[in-house]
Amino acid sequence: MIESFAQLEQLGAGRDLADVFLETDEQEHAVPAADILEALRKRRAVMRDCVERGKSGGTSMGKLVGHEARLLNEAFQSGKTFLDPLTVKAELYALAVMGENSRMGVIVAAPTAGAGGVVPGMLLALEEERHVDPEKTVRALVVAGGIGSIIALSASISGAAGGCQNEVGVASAMGAAGVAYMMGGTTKQSIHAAAMALKNTLGLVCDPVGGLVEVPCVKRNALFAVHGLTAAQLAMAGVESVIPMDEIVEAMVRIGRALPRGLRETAEGGLATTITGSAIAQRIKDEANARRAEKAKERERAAQERKGGA
Amino acid sequence: MAVRHDRKVSILDVMGPVMVGPSSSHTAGTARLGRVAYEILDDDPVRVDFHLHPPLAATYRGHGSDFALVGGSIGLNVDDPRIPEAIRIAEQMGLEISFSEEDLGDVHPNTVRIEIRGASREAEIIGSSIGGGVIEVFKINGFQARFKGDSPTLLLFYRDRPGMISEVTAIIAEEAINIASLYCSRKQRGKDAFMQIDVDSPVSDAALARIGSVRDMREAKYLDRIP
Ligand code: SF4
Repeated sequence: MIESFAQLEQLGAGRDLADVFLETDEQEHAVPAADILEALRKRRAVMRDCVERGKSGGTSMGKLVGHEARLLNEAFQSGKTFLDPLTVKAELYALAVMGENSRMGVIVAAPTAGAGGVVPGMLLALEEERHVDPEKTVRALVVAGGIGSIIALSASISGAAGGCQNEVGVASAMGAAGVAYMMGGTTKQSIHAAAMALKNTLGLVCDPVGGLVEVPCVKRNALFAVHGLTAAQLAMAGVESVIPMDEIVEAMVRIGRALPRGLRETAEGGLATTITGSAIAQRIKDEANARRAEKAKERERAAQERKGGA
Repeated sequence: MAVRHDRKVSILDVMGPVMVGPSSSHTAGTARLGRVAYEILDDDPVRVDFHLHPPLAATYRGHGSDFALVGGSIGLNVDDPRIPEAIRIAEQMGLEISFSEEDLGDVHPNTVRIEIRGASREAEIIGSSIGGGVIEVFKINGFQARFKGDSPTLLLFYRDRPGMISEVTAIIAEEAINIASLYCSRKQRGKDAFMQIDVDSPVSDAALARIGSVRDMREAKYLDRIP
């Protein structure tokens, strides 16, 4: 079993990183490599589907978001975006996935649903823009998943446990490693890509408005997809993280522990308790109460009718 | 929290599951917990009560955890697009559902106790959705457990006596099934006991029947990987 990134760097030196992960996963979980690849082929297809559906937008369950992907797509299609297409697509695809997620659409949690736009945003945009073989994307998903599984040995992957660094931060690290892999990087470069991405998300808190995975989550996925791409770019140019990945993960865990409860998914701090955030939360609560009262009335009416009929 | 998992999570656990949004811990994980209760009941449910640990009780509605818990407990998969309508579907099936808040002690924020009843059977689990759709069920029908639903598993309820474990594992060995881990707990010496055996490959009905016929075995259940 691979217990650390230091060990991974040794084991994976001069080897295809996806093969290394496939082998160890097969040993540890008795799932044949072919089955893992087949499952991830399907998951890549779900991601693609999700991007297509999500581009046209639509209001979210909590009604706070939903049209970001459509707006960016319209700007892109009419030539009004000013960033390069890879960057725009990474943002767009991440927004599209998160839009679907917020409407209870079918998505791939990567590693969580709330951070589920980052990895597909990065990998699918790169695949298209740099004409990467889709099978290579599937193998990059192996790499991303493998990186995440080592992080998960010491850190719980949830905003409730350690803030958004543990979700979106981890996703951007996973994606960065996948991107480096897709661009022909070495195992070491993938690890440094992950390290630089994760290092620069440390301290990111989880403060969703109204407790919904909508604000800031949807846009945050788009921005951190781009963040991960830039980390991979540095790694591919030979830049290395001074702090080793294992120590960054340790730091993340310590920071997560130091975060007050209010900044760990409870919606009791940060953006959630801004003037606007609080007003939205109040509105959501009021609406829920109104719905409940309406339902109770309906039940009463039905009971009355039953009595009247008898 | 530095959770050291007793086993490394797999690539497919991290890069997944395929699920209905919006939250892997509040939607996918909770749906899987509901599904565990459904599988253990092994009957058509007629009533299910969800007792939510306070932090989950505060957040479950906005994440659709209510749909997910109910969806799982009527047997839907986490990626089933009918999950958003699970409550309506369940009500049409005549299922009685309740949600309440209950302090479950020093546990993960997203923890729930599920009581599920069928026409003639009932089951109870307590489990946490710890992120990314990963679950940990630590109580099954009153017994300590370590169930994660990530591999085929045998759940055995029996009367505690010497030799039980070796009889059961001998059958498993004869069936050429590899044991990944084994966990036992009991309420009292010589009384009700429980064995959880995670295995590497599916267990056939014939093998399960053999295990079920071991002396003092009260019930032998086999659960596939919880999707
Ligand atoms: S802010 Fe919280 S809920 Fe939103 S993506 Fe980050 S960790 Fe998930």
